Amino acid sequence: MSTDLLIAIIVTVVGASTPILIAALGELVVEKSGVLNLGVEGMMLIGAITAFLVTFFTGNHYLAILVAAAAGVASSLIFGFLTLSLSANQTATGLALTIFGTGFSALAGQGYSARPVTLLGPLFPAELASHPIWRVLFGYSALVYFAFALVIGVWWFLKRSRAGLILRAVGENDLSAHSIGYSVIGVRYMAVMFGGAMAGIAGACFPLLLTPQWAERMTGGRGWIAVALVVFASWKPFRLLAGAYLFGLVMTMELYAKASGGPLSAIPAELWAAMPYLATVVVLVLISIRRDASTNAPACLGKPFLPAN
Amino acid sequence: MMQFRLEKRREPSKAMLYGTPIVAVLLTMIVGAILFSLIGFDGVGAVREIFITPFTNTYKWQDLGVKAAPLIIIGVGLSIAYRANVWNIGAEGQYVVGGLAATGVALATYQMTGWWILPLMILAGMAGGALYGAIPALLRTRLGVNEILTSLMLTYVSVQAIYYLVRAPWKDPMGMGFPQTRRFAADALLPNILPGTIVHAGVPIAIIVALVAWFVMSRSVFGYQMRVVGAAPHAARYGGFSENRTIWLAFLVSGALAGLAGALEVSGPFQRMVPGFPTNYGFTAIIVAFLGRLDPLGVIFGGLVIAVTFVGGEIAQTSIGLSNSATGVFQAMMLFFLLAGDLLVRYRIRRVTPQAEARA
Repeated sequence: MSTDLLIAIIVTVVGASTPILIAALGELVVEKSGVLNLGVEGMMLIGAITAFLVTFFTGNHYLAILVAAAAGVASSLIFGFLTLSLSANQTATGLALTIFGTGFSALAGQGYSARPVTLLGPLFPAELASHPIWRVLFGYSALVYFAFALVIGVWWFLKRSRAGLILRAVGENDLSAHSIGYSVIGVRYMAVMFGGAMAGIAGACFPLLLTPQWAERMTGGRGWIAVALVVFASWKPFRLLAGAYLFGLVMTMELYAKASGGPLSAIPAELWAAMPYLATVVVLVLISIRRDASTNAPACLGKPFLPAN
Repeated sequence: MMQFRLEKRREPSKAMLYGTPIVAVLLTMIVGAILFSLIGFDGVGAVREIFITPFTNTYKWQDLGVKAAPLIIIGVGLSIAYRANVWNIGAEGQYVVGGLAATGVALATYQMTGWWILPLMILAGMAGGALYGAIPALLRTRLGVNEILTSLMLTYVSVQAIYYLVRAPWKDPMGMGFPQTRRFAADALLPNILPGTIVHAGVPIAIIVALVAWFVMSRSVFGYQMRVVGAAPHAARYGGFSENRTIWLAFLVSGALAGLAGALEVSGPFQRMVPGFPTNYGFTAIIVAFLGRLDPLGVIFGGLVIAVTFVGGEIAQTSIGLSNSATGVFQAMMLFFLLAGDLLVRYRIRRVTPQAEARA
């Protein structure tokens, strides 16, 4: 394998992994607070169309990312209001949010599907990334570095900060947290909004980092893979990083197989396209065979908070 | 100052349980009209075309039946599974595999004739859907793998299976390169039951499925088991109902019904397998099941309401140029309002004055 091909593969893997990683880190924080939001895919689509439209009309990528995050927060508040304030069923509400996001994004993007935008350029000056080796380190857009920083940030927040401790307490034992004076609903609202912001940014990665246009359902189930990855990583940020890159590798294997011209290139394209989803199932199976996987889940995950009043 | 407080009802309110779906539909029409107007669409026109015209235009009634049939069949299966707290959200995949299994029979018997071909296709479709549903059931009962994620991931896989099959092994040799199978032979097509319309045998089948499911769920031990395991898992275990058995039954029944819908669609409206076969009936049936209050008879209502929005969405597309995707937004709004209304089933809102609060 030539160096150029290897570098090309690394760059594609990084691109494919970034949105999954950002969305999954958001969902990890949400789940740590005891809430299961299955609306990630829908919020990502809303983030994707928002980022596309802002870029299309203003050309300002960073503004697009900010507005996408805000749109993600707004959509997550629908979920938050229904499940936290009205204690609606979290599974059903999350599904409803995904259906809503799919329809809403398609409606908002009507008539824009063939219009190109420009991708977000690299963060560092081109001279720094001129050599192929340096390109692997310094050749990416800000979204990629943001994802890495987010891994460390989420880890630090959950493990080292006081607010993170409260959030984990709320997710592990909501009644105890409530009885010593913490606002369970308030903490969960904050977590859900953070998850919404990250899903919005993850959605923004699609038009700004991967394919510079809008297409209906362009997130293609990546939001669901992000939800699965949180289980795979047993709610640990650094394992999430490894998992997201593993998936990025699976998704781009087709390129390698085609380039190699070996026996792998005989595999039909449809099987390659199905690979990330099959891999998710396999990974979920492997993880459940290991014993600590389910014991690490936040104890209150998915259960509504119902204090006896 | 006035304050409101939620008070848990001793028993869930029957009036609210059956009233909230209707209120949810009405609220969706009102809020939808306002919201769509705010974002620059013809909101009132959209609501009129989507919710009213399908009723007033009698020519569209046949479309309602044809759209409602698969939604009701899949929705009935999902309502049984969700009752038991088993979250099969991969009905779309089971629908696709059911359609593929029926297609396989139709293509294998292409040169043959006989009354048995169509029933065999339907049986194959049900078996295919049940088998595809058995995968998440097996993984959940044996290894504790979350069934939401596996059933959904398998849906994406099944769609790729269609693409592969119609592109290569099942491609119509006379199809001028189009990725689709040949049109099924006459004995493999679902008959029409009303001459001059598009109403096919799937419509009465949907009603029969709902009635049988209602009878089974309310009158049999099976139905009792599904309801008890969902509502009170501990009591169910104490009473000797196995949770694993329930998961298996829920997936096999909901998978078989989704597969049945797939077989009826491919032999009816589609008449061949095409890449556009996955039409999201499996996902939309989730809304149908909830609108129907997870009750097989209610699912008929839910299926009709959603069918109205589909047919109305198509009308709005041609009459006022509204995108088809608006339909999905209205459907999701309905589900949001319904879920919000669930609170009123379990709680009542009491007005309290601060003094009364202090005394209490």
